[in-house]
Amino acid sequence: MEAGGVQRDERELLDRARAGDGEAFGELVRRYQDTVYTLARRLVGPDLAADVAQEALLRAWRALPRFRGEAAFSTWLHRITVNTAWTLRRRDRRHLAEPLEGDFEDAGPLPEQAGELAEARAVLRRAIAALNPGQRAVVVLRDLYGWSGAETARELGITETTVKVRLHRARRRLRSLLEGER
Amino acid sequence: MRGPVCAAAALFPGERGGRLAAHRAGCLRCRAEEARRRSLDRVLEALGAEVVPAPASLHAAVMARLGPQDAADPRRALAARAAARYAAAAGVAVALLAALLAGLARRHSRAMG
Repeated sequence: MEAGGVQRDERELLDRARAGDGEAFGELVRRYQDTVYTLARRLVGPDLAADVAQEALLRAWRALPRFRGEAAFSTWLHRITVNTAWTLRRRDRRHLAEPLEGDFEDAGPLPEQAGELAEARAVLRRAIAALNPGQRAVVVLRDLYGWSGAETARELGITETTVKVRLHRARRRLRSLLEGER
Repeated sequence: MRGPVCAAAALFPGERGGRLAAHRAGCLRCRAEEARRRSLDRVLEALGAEVVPAPASLHAAVMARLGPQDAADPRRALAARAAARYAAAAGVAVALLAALLAGLARRHSRAMG
């Protein structure tokens, strides 16, 4: 299907889901569950990621009548995921200060993951997991998802200056962790 | 040891065409730092493009828990609560001011009488 067709199709699904059509929402869940789960996993690690993804998708369902389409659906969903990750992590105090166990290892290696870059990515996943939660969230949203400083600050409830400082420190730490692994 | 200019150059990697850029161009340490930064950028970009498949049970778990939707904007409730708080505070302030003015008026009439 062409990009325009996919967009039309998605708009139709969104309209139906907004009106309470669970089947249409089910199709949206099927399309976005992997990206929501990936973001949750990057933010809170594998132990809590499924809970965060499930709760975020349920919150999205409840809030759908209020979705006006000002941002892309995926962006809106990501914002809900970040907020949910923050709420659940606060409840799950174990994750507050500790580095993540089991890091961000993916379910299985993809064919194109061969070679040096794949190895560097694996090292980087471990390094990101070793950051403190505040630095990790900023690196994930700014560097992996390309959010702006203002967006990141708003969703994490911190100032833009704090975002800059955390990003600078996190990147410095990532570089030193990456060099330590070489 | 890294000098203060090297540290400043690391703090503002986007600065181009100024003093820091001129320093960076001639400083081996800064060029190595820049190369490390670019290498980190490349790997971060590659990692950002990765998608981890969700657990197979996620879809069913979400669909089993779909409840009613909520069209009410939660910000309205918060705004209403804030407005009620302001109204209460304003009421108390008006009552205090009225009491103060009444006291002053009493004192004034006693002094006159």
